[in-house]
Amino acid sequence: MISRRTFLTSSMTVTLLGSPIFSALAEKRNKRNLVVISLRGGMDGLSAVPPIDPKLEKFRPDILVKKTLPLTSDFSLHPSLKNFHVAWKQDNAAIVHSTNIPYTNRSHFEGQDLMESGGLKPFAEYTGWLGRGMETAGLEGLAIALPMPLILRSKANLDNYFPTKLSTPSPEIMKRVAKTYPVNSNLKSTIERVIMRPYSMLSGSGSRKAYRLAGAAAQALARADGPRVAVFDMNGFDTHAAQGGSNGEHADKLYNLDKIFGTLRKNLGSSFDNTLIVTLTEFGRKVEQNGGNGTEHGYGTAVLMMGGLIKKAQVYSDWAGLKRKDMFEGQDLNSTIDARSIYCSAMAMAFETDFEKLQRQVFWNNKLLNLQDKLFRL
Amino acid sequence: MSMKKNFFRKVGFGIGPNETVPDDPLYWAQNQVDKIPPLIWGDTIRSGQEMLNYYAEWVYKDREILRKKYKNNRQAYREAKNKLRNKVGKRYFENLEICIRQNTALKSEFPVFERLWFFWCNHFAIIDKDAMPQFTTGPYHRETIRANMCGSFETLLKEATVGWSMIHNLDNSESIGPHSEWGKNRRKRGKLATVNENHARELLELHTISTAAGYTQEDVVQLSYIMAGWEHRYSKKRKECNPVKFNQKKHEPGNHKVLGKTYKQRGLSPKNKLLDVLKDLAAHPQTRRFVAFKLCRHFITDNPTEDMIAPIVDAWEKSNGNLPIIHKALLKVAFDHSDKEEKFQNPEIWMLQMVNMVGGSWPLQADEMKYNFKIKPNNHQRKPRFFMKEIGYEPYRPIQPNGFSDLESDWVSPELLIRRMSAPKEIAKRKIILKNFEKMIDKNFDNTEEMKKLIDGVKSDSTKMQLIFPSYRMLKT
Repeated sequence: MISRRTFLTSSMTVTLLGSPIFSALAEKRNKRNLVVISLRGGMDGLSAVPPIDPKLEKFRPDILVKKTLPLTSDFSLHPSLKNFHVAWKQDNAAIVHSTNIPYTNRSHFEGQDLMESGGLKPFAEYTGWLGRGMETAGLEGLAIALPMPLILRSKANLDNYFPTKLSTPSPEIMKRVAKTYPVNSNLKSTIERVIMRPYSMLSGSGSRKAYRLAGAAAQALARADGPRVAVFDMNGFDTHAAQGGSNGEHADKLYNLDKIFGTLRKNLGSSFDNTLIVTLTEFGRKVEQNGGNGTEHGYGTAVLMMGGLIKKAQVYSDWAGLKRKDMFEGQDLNSTIDARSIYCSAMAMAFETDFEKLQRQVFWNNKLLNLQDKLFRL
Repeated sequence: MSMKKNFFRKVGFGIGPNETVPDDPLYWAQNQVDKIPPLIWGDTIRSGQEMLNYYAEWVYKDREILRKKYKNNRQAYREAKNKLRNKVGKRYFENLEICIRQNTALKSEFPVFERLWFFWCNHFAIIDKDAMPQFTTGPYHRETIRANMCGSFETLLKEATVGWSMIHNLDNSESIGPHSEWGKNRRKRGKLATVNENHARELLELHTISTAAGYTQEDVVQLSYIMAGWEHRYSKKRKECNPVKFNQKKHEPGNHKVLGKTYKQRGLSPKNKLLDVLKDLAAHPQTRRFVAFKLCRHFITDNPTEDMIAPIVDAWEKSNGNLPIIHKALLKVAFDHSDKEEKFQNPEIWMLQMVNMVGGSWPLQADEMKYNFKIKPNNHQRKPRFFMKEIGYEPYRPIQPNGFSDLESDWVSPELLIRRMSAPKEIAKRKIILKNFEKMIDKNFDNTEEMKKLIDGVKSDSTKMQLIFPSYRMLKT
């Protein structure tokens, strides 16, 4: 398991997109921001947002979440999610439950591939839904991470920034190197982006501490001329062992997530009102706990949303229930809402782009629900 | 002079200043895979067992002693933990391991073997979990992967599967057969007992037949039953750091059907069930195809074709999975396609090729890596990890069990490209042996004129390196 310390220094990367240097929509006032937080490993929606149901106690006697925070008559909230709860009380947080991307084969690699690509067949797509969405909306962007995450890849070549601590060569050297790359190659367009950069982006002076990047990301989003999209990446939700209830591995991960919620909110300032933060994971966990006080890979889970663009505090769900016969393969919380409907709706709202257009160009016209009026304050 | 000089980078680390270009490249390559070359390091190398003891000391003392002793004093806890960190070399060993790995690769008389070693370490990847990168993944690469590279795939598979690293990495010790003795006892006490499917799933998906074989969730569950009981004991004094032993009390009794075949217990112990499965998986046609595809994708092209895969599959089938024979078949295919295909080199291989071709002073040597286990390793000694992190490839820290990507698209971004243009200066700062860059180009490239033109009129070695190594023919070999 990854310790909290590791998380703070290495297991999180942050990505900023729609930077004004490149963005077509840069001049917009009150621009809307979209923040996507990928929870890698399979986030347990039944632990983050437990239903108030005695059946859960039977399935999870050793990892039951206690001292939960109140949400509705049917659901409560994990006590680690304090900042989220504050926002809930102000009608600035909501949950979609019993949802997931349409993937049921329980493999991290396939699932994470699909949660980023937005596709139906693992490893069949080489671009990501957010990248394609930005392409459709005419946004280009800047990622703050060393490797480019799949979720952001698109035909429009995205830029990334992650200050190096090595000394960079002069533009003259770069230009000579660039000449060796074939025209129309990925390498060529990439090096051209590097060459066009202002010098400040090439000298290795910026801080790379993750919490600094997180705070900096929010501050950048808060600027009227700043980027419009940020992506956070958190590892460690694969809690096969010692998952715990109110304390333990999963509680720690949720605490880290909540810290991001808090940092974002604080640093966004008044821009929080025009921001939507939404979580993403590859699958939920099985309803029944395993022998190691952990949980196995499952299917349905919860998507957490926060920000001023939320319509109201609600658990939006076509609740699948915890009776064996209602579970997927008799073992998982079922998914009754394709989570891609949430993401397509979120992009339509935040990018101010037609839902059907995104559905067509990002999700191959797959059957998705337009949830904008249900979830967001348009 | 032979053409196809890129072949020496395709399957090796290029030709160094003191090396001559082999007359028969294919013979040169195929002749390197029959025996396991020695590791090259100027000091005793600690065994995996010894490293597991350091790991055990770290987890036991931190969790059982320090956390309790200083539960009301965070500052004192932090200081005590730091002291312990130094005492067990937690910030030291990973740097040392990088040095041993890369020094061996660079100084080896058998660079092709070393490249294959890197491949297999990544095929049976151990992800960044707990304190494994700091203590045990290096030894696993040496004692489990390297030591089994000249036998059969089945043996390598078996050693990797039931070795401590994989068992711990994929949580198999957490598995309890529902009808095992432990399972029944747990239920009597009102507790649940189930299997952990992680290891079984990766064994199928990543290590052998892959999803192309079309197995079902039920196959995964049944295989998890068969694997239940293969565990490292968990003890208070050593935590997870105990040897792997088969624990029949956690094993799911009975027969289990995987991929249409029923596996039964023979003799007194049901241990044979997993070994029988591994034997069948190793001999499965989809395993041959999947691994042959991966070999081609690593060494030849992002998009291997049927005519590349077929000869390797064929050699595998005829030799019953003999690794040297499989490796030779791969090398033949790589050689045949050498001037037709280009392969983008990952940051570590590219960096080692650069160091080899200029005779650079990397990595640090044994005398520079002497450590007293009292204070934090000095900046110099922490350089290996720093540098690998900076160029985007920490060999003991893949994030997912499918290891590091072999696809160009995963390695090309503005920042990663900046690293390729910055790293040469870092190597140039240290001493290099190379005197004549034109000679180096003659030895290593087929497009010699183009490469020489690139450094035409350039005086400093550093600038020459900054021009040559991020250039197209060097990134894509």
